[in-house]
Order: sequence, then structure tokens, then C-alpha cells
Amino acid sequence: MEKIFFLIFAIMAIASAIGVVSLRNPVHSAISLMACFFQVAAIFVLLRSPFLAAVQVFLYVGAVMVLFLFVIMMLDIRKATISRFVPGGLFWIVVILIALVYEILAVISKSNLLARRVAAVRLDGTVAEIGKTLFTEYLLPFEVVSVILLVALIGAIVMGKKEIK
Amino acid sequence: MANIFKKVFFVDFLKGLSLTLRYEVSKSITMRYPDEEKWLPYQRFRGLHTLNRDSQGRELCVACELCAKTCPTKCITVVPMEDDKGIGISDRIAKVYEINLVRCMFCGLCEDACPTTAIRMGRDYELACFSLDCAKAEKKRLLAPKEIPQELDGGYVIKARFERTKEGLKVRPDLSKKKRWW
Amino acid sequence: MSHELITMDINTLIEVALIIVKVIFVSLTLFALPIPLTWMERKVAGHIQLRLGPFRVGPHGILQPVADMIKLMFKEDIVPDKADRRLFWLAPLLAMVPAFAVYAAIPFGDTVKIPFVDKEITLYISDMNVGILYILAISGMSVYGLILGGWASNSKYAAMGGIRSSAQMISYEIALSFACVAVVMIANSLSLLDIVNAQKELHWNIIYQPLGFIIFLIAALAEINRIPFDLPEDEGTLAAGYHVEYSAMKFSFFMLAEYVAMVTVSVLAVILFFGGWNAPLFLPEIPIFWFVAKVAFFIYFFMWIRFTLPRYRYDQLMTIGWKILLPLSLLNILVTGLFLL
Repeated sequence: MEKIFFLIFAIMAIASAIGVVSLRNPVHSAISLMACFFQVAAIFVLLRSPFLAAVQVFLYVGAVMVLFLFVIMMLDIRKATISRFVPGGLFWIVVILIALVYEILAVISKSNLLARRVAAVRLDGTVAEIGKTLFTEYLLPFEVVSVILLVALIGAIVMGKKEIK
Repeated sequence: MANIFKKVFFVDFLKGLSLTLRYEVSKSITMRYPDEEKWLPYQRFRGLHTLNRDSQGRELCVACELCAKTCPTKCITVVPMEDDKGIGISDRIAKVYEINLVRCMFCGLCEDACPTTAIRMGRDYELACFSLDCAKAEKKRLLAPKEIPQELDGGYVIKARFERTKEGLKVRPDLSKKKRWW
Repeated sequence: MSHELITMDINTLIEVALIIVKVIFVSLTLFALPIPLTWMERKVAGHIQLRLGPFRVGPHGILQPVADMIKLMFKEDIVPDKADRRLFWLAPLLAMVPAFAVYAAIPFGDTVKIPFVDKEITLYISDMNVGILYILAISGMSVYGLILGGWASNSKYAAMGGIRSSAQMISYEIALSFACVAVVMIANSLSLLDIVNAQKELHWNIIYQPLGFIIFLIAALAEINRIPFDLPEDEGTLAAGYHVEYSAMKFSFFMLAEYVAMVTVSVLAVILFFGGWNAPLFLPEIPIFWFVAKVAFFIYFFMWIRFTLPRYRYDQLMTIGWKILLPLSLLNILVTGLFLL
């Protein structure tokens, strides 16, 4: 049962991800991306992590994509719908794609991710557990990420201010 | 200080809410015409004309045609005729007395011109209809007794009943109950 | 897969059937809700303006929404010439589906024992342990209907409405979520069921979180695009905003989504701040009744506000969102945290 659902979600996610890069109209691409995020959230649910799924929908679908759409709607997209996205054509895409796939396969085959079995996860305490691990085990990465985000925020404000002057 | 207090406790907002709540529970001023109520105009109102009779029931109109002459839109047609049966107050009565309501602008000059106060502006204002036939007010219709007596003072809302009959729609007034709507 | 189906015993089947029945019941109720709500809104509007509101169709105009519905069904469905047809079709659905999907996680009561059959029924479709997050996430999605509807119409006014709604949503979603965070901190759980159960015996969150409640209410008003924050469909400057090109049933889908969103926000206000289905004062507990009564009060309150306040200007909207509500909600979280420690 779960496998069937996983296959459905995974296929939909990949199909919509292909849609993101292949659709001409940026708004259509944005909607495919939204659909893709949604499928990934569904896969999170299948992995017994409803918290991550909700956060995925909340942040990416609910906020980030809305901002994307906001910006896209501000732009003049008539030109963009006519021109191709990558000037170099198909060749470079294929090369980069092959390199990426090779890299991923290499990393996975060397690591022990496949062999490790996920311990039975309790469904009721995931939020608290994630919170605890974030603030104990992964405190340093967490703080680093927040500092980086803060820097990005301040940088955006500074850049925005300059133009007003 | 008071300003801050006002902002923190949403004083203006609450004032507004209480005002609208007061309006909400107070009585509405809607006049439910034609279903239940009807406006009874003042005596000076210039509605559909009436042809009047004297106290003995004789027609006051002597067919002098002054109303037709003075009418700015020329909407009144009067054809006089001799009469010795005592229908009118003299031996000259109107054979035809017709007002074209489509052209009439209810200015009331006919009323002023009339030497015998035979023609008066009445208080019937429901003149809309589905065919042009009723746009012609002939003598019979003008002479017919009115639902609202001339003596009654107006200027208030009366009870009424909305009727659908074969002749058309009618709002029948009930003069016993009246209310001032303001 | 097949052996799983076989091993499903009768109890699981009953559970599944129950859930399906609940889903159908809830969605039918939500579909039917705009009928009394539009009538109520017009009546409230009428009486506040010293009118009577609809009066001619049925006694006290109660059948007016039905007449409106019939009219909407038979109206011509116009698609603008250069509209993006697919998105134009998709947008009303995108507005409506999230509004309905939210109710999968909303509890209407605890449990009820059915008489005669000795069985307890839970008055919610599912009790998610991330309930409040799910609701915020899904309800935030209904803005896509507005944005895409505005964009796909290929009309200036509609596009302006779409852009406004997206900016407004982003600005107020944060304050709204932060107001909810303080409640979550008190209840120590994201599940709505736990949040309500933490408010038993008149320990309603409104007592501990008056500031949070005000922030929640203002942000929620902005989220559901109602006056005084209904800038995406500002009649004065944008004709009808994002749905200016929509007609017939597509338009009614937008209306439906808007009304359901209003109910959702009322429900959330009741669950988060007014003790859910717990009885006020020391009145007897009646299943569902108190919940519905409180929700009805909030729905009335939103209508009441609509006919009391004028609309804010767009820069005022942004100022309120970013400069007032956001710092206040952060402060609220801080103070709540200090008290809890």
C-alpha cells in the first residue's frame, strides 16, 4: 500500500519537476514547482514525519512560492515566454545532468545509508524530538544557518536602501 | 497619554461597534411598500386628476374648456354637449373629458383655471400599467369615487394590502391604521 | 496489498466507513453554509444601515440565497479573450480546495456516545499531532486561487488584486502564525485537541493571551480578505479585484471559498482562544452546541466589523502588518515564554 502511494507521489514529483524546467510560461513553471513541493510533502508524511511535511507546505508552498509568483507577476514575462532559458542548448544540460547523477550514485554507493535501517519512529512525539535535537545535537549548524539568514536579510535591506539614495 | 490609552484599548473601534450595534437593534425605517404599507400623500399632492360633484351629486364641470386651453402639454380633450336632465350644475356638460396621462406633467394649471373647481389633482399616484389603454383617463374614471377621501389629511404611512387581480396589480389602502414613519 | 485488505477486520472497516461519513458530512455542511451566511450577512448589513435587507423571497427573505444560487448557475460563464484558460479554470478550484481541506484537522468536539449502539464517536476527522501547523499551511494556500485568478484573467484590475493579495498574505501570515505560537507554548502541543483540553475549567487562552488574541484577530481578518483589509477586491479602486473577470459558477466558487475561510477563522479563534467546546461559566456541557454558538458569534462579529469600519489604505495595511503586528507578536511570544519559565 505504502509503496504504491510512494510511487504515485514520486512519479508526480518528478513529472512536475520536469514541468518546472520545460514549461515556457514562468507562471506555469511556478505552479509545477508548487505541485512538486506538495508531492515531496506527501512523501514526508509517508516517512512518518508530518511535522516536516507541514513545514514544507507552510514555508515553501505557502510563503516562498507566493513570493516567487509575486516577483514573476511584476516582471514582463511576454519576452521570457518566447526565448529559450539556456542559451547553450541541450548539450550542456546533458553534460551537467550526467555529472550530477554520477556524483549522487557515487556518494550513495560509498555511504552506509542504504544499509542503515530507520529505527521505528513514534508518530506522536516528532515535533518535540526535532526541537530537542535541533537545540542540542545540531545547535552549531542551526545557529550558523540562522546567522547566514540574518546576514542575507541585512544584505537585502542594505541593497534595497542604496537605490533609494 | 489619553491618546495612547485610546490606541491600546481600541476605544474608537469599540465606540464604532457600539454605534452600529445600536443601529442594528433599532427599528428600521424601510417602508414596506407595496406589501404592507403605503405612503398617503398630503392634500396638496398633485396625482391623478379627479372630476368632482357638488353636494347634490351634480357634476361640477361645465365644459368651458379653460383647462384644455391652459394646459401646457395640450393633453386634455373636452367636447361639450347640451343637457336638460340635470346631470351637471348648468345645461352644458362635458360629453367627452379625456386626459392623456402620458403627456400630462401634473403641473396643476388645469386646477387653477377651473372656474367651478370641478377638476382637482387627486392623490392616486400608482399610474403604471402594462398597456397604453390606462394612459387615457376618461370621464368615467375621473368621476369615480376615490378610495382616499378629499378631506383626509395626508403625510403619513398607512397599512395597505398588495393585490394581484385580473385587472392588474393594486395596492389597497387601509385607512384605519396610520403611522408616521420618522 | 491484497493480503492487507483481507486482514482488515470489521472494526477497521467501521472506522474507515465512519471517517468517510464524517468527511462527506463536513464537506456537505460547508457547501451548504454560504446559503445561511449570505442571508445573514445581508440581513446584518441591512439592519445596521437601518434597512431590512432581503425581504421578498420567502419569509424575511430567507430563500434569497437560493434564488441567488439559481441565478449564478444559469448565468453565462465568460472567459476573457486572452486569458490563460487553464489557469483561469484552475484558480477557483485552488481557492476552494484548501478552504475545505483545512477541516480535516479541525475538531468540533471531543467524543460523543451514540445511544443504543455502545460506541464512541470522535467529533473530528483526524487528530493530527501537527494540527495547527497543518491548518496554517493549508489555509495559506488558498491565496494561490486569488493570485492565479488575478493573473490568468489578463486584466489590469484582476492582476493588481492578485498582487495585492499575495503581498498581504505574506505580511500577515507571519503575525498570524506567531500569535498561534504563543498558544502552542501554553498548551505544549500542536494538536488542536490538546490545545482545547488545556483550556478546561475556564482557563481559556483569552485570559492569558489577550494581546495574542488581538493580533490573531487582526491578522486573520487580513488573511481572509474581509473589510477593513479587503484590498484584493477593493471595489473603490479595483472594481472587484481578483475576481473581476469571473462570472457564474466560477465566481461563486470564490465566494464559497471566502465564506468557508471566514468560518475557518472563526473556528480557529474559538479553538485557540475561547476554549473550543468547553462551556462558558458554569453552564452545562452540551456536545457541539457551545462550539457552534461561539463560532456563530465570531461569524457575526466579522460581519459586524465589515459594516462598521472603512477600508484601510494599502500603505496603512503594510504598516500595520510589518511595523505593529509583527513586533507585537514577537514580544507576545517572549513574554509568554518568560511566564512559562
